[in-house]
This record gives sequence, structure tokens and C-alpha cells, in this order.
Amino acid sequence: MRTFIALAWLVLSGLSAVAAAEPSTRIAWTPQTLNLVKSGDPARGQTKAASCQGCHGAEPANAATPFPYLNGQLATYLYRQLQDYKAGGRPHPIMTGIAAALSDQDMADIAQWYSRQEPVQMPEGRGDVPRLVVDGDSKRLIAPCGICHGGHGQGEPVDTPRLSGQKASYLKETLLAYKSGQRHNDIYRRMRTMAERLSPDEIELLANYYGGLR
Amino acid sequence: MHINPLERKWVYVSLGMVGLFVASIVLTAITEGVHPPSNVETVDSASLHLGDEFAEDKLGVRQQPDGSLRVTLVAARYGFYPNHIEIPADTPVTFRMASVDVLHAAHIPMTNMSTMVVPGYVSQITTTFPKPGDYPMLCNEYCGLGHDHMWSKVTVVAKEEWHGVAAAEQQGSKP
Repeated sequence: MRTFIALAWLVLSGLSAVAAAEPSTRIAWTPQTLNLVKSGDPARGQTKAASCQGCHGAEPANAATPFPYLNGQLATYLYRQLQDYKAGGRPHPIMTGIAAALSDQDMADIAQWYSRQEPVQMPEGRGDVPRLVVDGDSKRLIAPCGICHGGHGQGEPVDTPRLSGQKASYLKETLLAYKSGQRHNDIYRRMRTMAERLSPDEIELLANYYGGLR
Repeated sequence: MHINPLERKWVYVSLGMVGLFVASIVLTAITEGVHPPSNVETVDSASLHLGDEFAEDKLGVRQQPDGSLRVTLVAARYGFYPNHIEIPADTPVTFRMASVDVLHAAHIPMTNMSTMVVPGYVSQITTTFPKPGDYPMLCNEYCGLGHDHMWSKVTVVAKEEWHGVAAAEQQGSKP
């Protein structure tokens, strides 16, 4: 009888664990995780990143592909994305498989190497600064992009990503994915709530602005 | 030490004023029951979303088994999550809040809902909203460049128009 109860309890607790929604990401910026990212070795990262460069390298051949540039991106951001690809928080047909083969240390090494590369200089000139970047829209509860992503779109700690030096097409796809909920590894829906309130035109405008920012 | 008689007079006057103000604060605190929310309970702010109470699907307005209302909120640069909550008037509501990053505070103007949200601690405050309407919930501790954009919406509906928390939401609150 006792075994039966124990078994039933196990099954039931297993079921309730499935019923509870997965957190958007399994990464928490505890001192241990931050130290692990910091301990990444860029030299080893360069060797490990050799195969990444085929798609993510900052070369003219990659300019028209849908893959993002990673040069100059925050190491914390890259590390968390790789972990999310691996754990399933950010499912992707190509990246999930690649990240699954990486250890925590591999991810830290690669993240450190990319974060030390010079950001890509975009050919487009810098246009007018959109109002949403500086003032946001308080009526729609949209905070200005610049306060979290930095005045020059350079990214801010802990893991708010760099936007400048990124392909406008990738920024647009990312905002649309947040808006539709297809991308959902932002803790507490912080980016989704904002993207949901943006119109497709505004998304286009912001993507082009940050895509052309040096 | 020589002190000018006029100066001495002003020192006494200013000390008297300080004494008066302190006395009035102490007196009203005792007679009116004014006190800062004093719930001391620690939480790991860095891994809030991996914890139990502040997990992403546990936020918002929930009916407790005893019928009371509990609002679980997370303060993060720069917003309160969820962004919009709906609660009934004339009903005691208990807010439980935690910060993901830095020091924040939650204040609903024209009500007595006001508390600091200190990273590493759970802030708890119980209050009743007498007047229905739309209220902003503001951050009133400077928390960074976007501090002035940190606000969310609280809708207080009349008690008789309150239809309770959606059934689906309530289910999720049960352990």
C-alpha cells in the first residue's frame, strides 16, 4: 500500500511539474554564472568559433543571409542565448543542434571571443533618431529603447544586447518574433510586452535605425 | 567658549523646531498606526524567475484558498510585471513584490499603497482601495535612466462589478 501511495505521488508530482509552464530561460545571473562567463578564454573561443564564422562572420558574403552578426555582442547575452538554444527556451532548427554539442565552458569561451571583436560598421548613414528610441511612448507603456540598450545601441549589463552593428533585417525579424510570441526567452515578457505594442511600421523604422547605427 | 547671545537664541529656536517635528512624527506614528511595511523575508533576486512564488506563470491577481486576494508583482528596470492588473474596490488586497535588479518602489497615488521593493527581499503590503478607477503604479525610488518610464496600470472596479479572477488563472495558483 505504502509503495502504491509513493508511486502515485511520484506520478502526480511528475504531472504537475509538466503542467507548470517552463521558465522563459533557465539562466539566472548568479555570481557563479557571471564568473563562469567571465572565465571564458577568448583564444580557445576563437578556435571553437571557427565553424560559427561560416554563417556569423562579418564578411560581405554573409551580408544578405538571415543570420545575425555576433561581433562586439555582450558575452553574457551570447552565453545565455546558447544556453537557451540548448535547453529549449529558444528553439531553432539549426542552433538547437549546434548548442547541444557545446559545454558551458565552450559557450563562455566563444562568447568571450565574439564580445572582443570589433562591431560591424554598417554602410548606411545614420538617419534621424526615431522618437521611440529617445522618448518611448508613455501612453502605451513603451520605455525608450535607448535606456536599456544604451545611448548608441551598444548594449548594457547584465545581458541587454547590442543593437548597433546588427543587420536591420535581423532586428526586424527579431522584433516581429517577439511581437508574435514566437521568440519568448525574455524573462517576465519584458521585450514581448513592448514589441506587442509596436506597429509593423514602427518595427521597420527601429530596425532600420539601429541597423544603420555605427 | 564664547557664544554670541543672539546666536545662542537661534540655536535654541532651531533645536526646539527639530524637537517639535520629531515629536509630531512619533506621536502620529503611535496614534495613527503609521509604520513602514515591515515584512522581512528574503528571496534570491537573481533567480527570481526560477523560484516558486515569482515564477513567470505565477504573477498577477490570485484568489487565495481563504477567499482573500493576493497580487504577485515583479519590479524590474523599467516596469512592473504584469503591466496591468484589475482588482475590486472595498476588498483587502495583499501585494507581494520582489525586484529583479535594483532598488525600486511601488506607489499608487491617492491611495495608501506605497512600499519600497528592495532587491533580496519580498515586500508585502495589504490595503483596500475605496474608489474605483484607473490608477498608475509608479516607481518612486530612482532606479536608473528609465526611472521616469517605470509605471504600470491598476484598474480598480466596483465590488459589485468584480467577477473574480479568471478560472484558468486560479487553477494555476493551486500547488
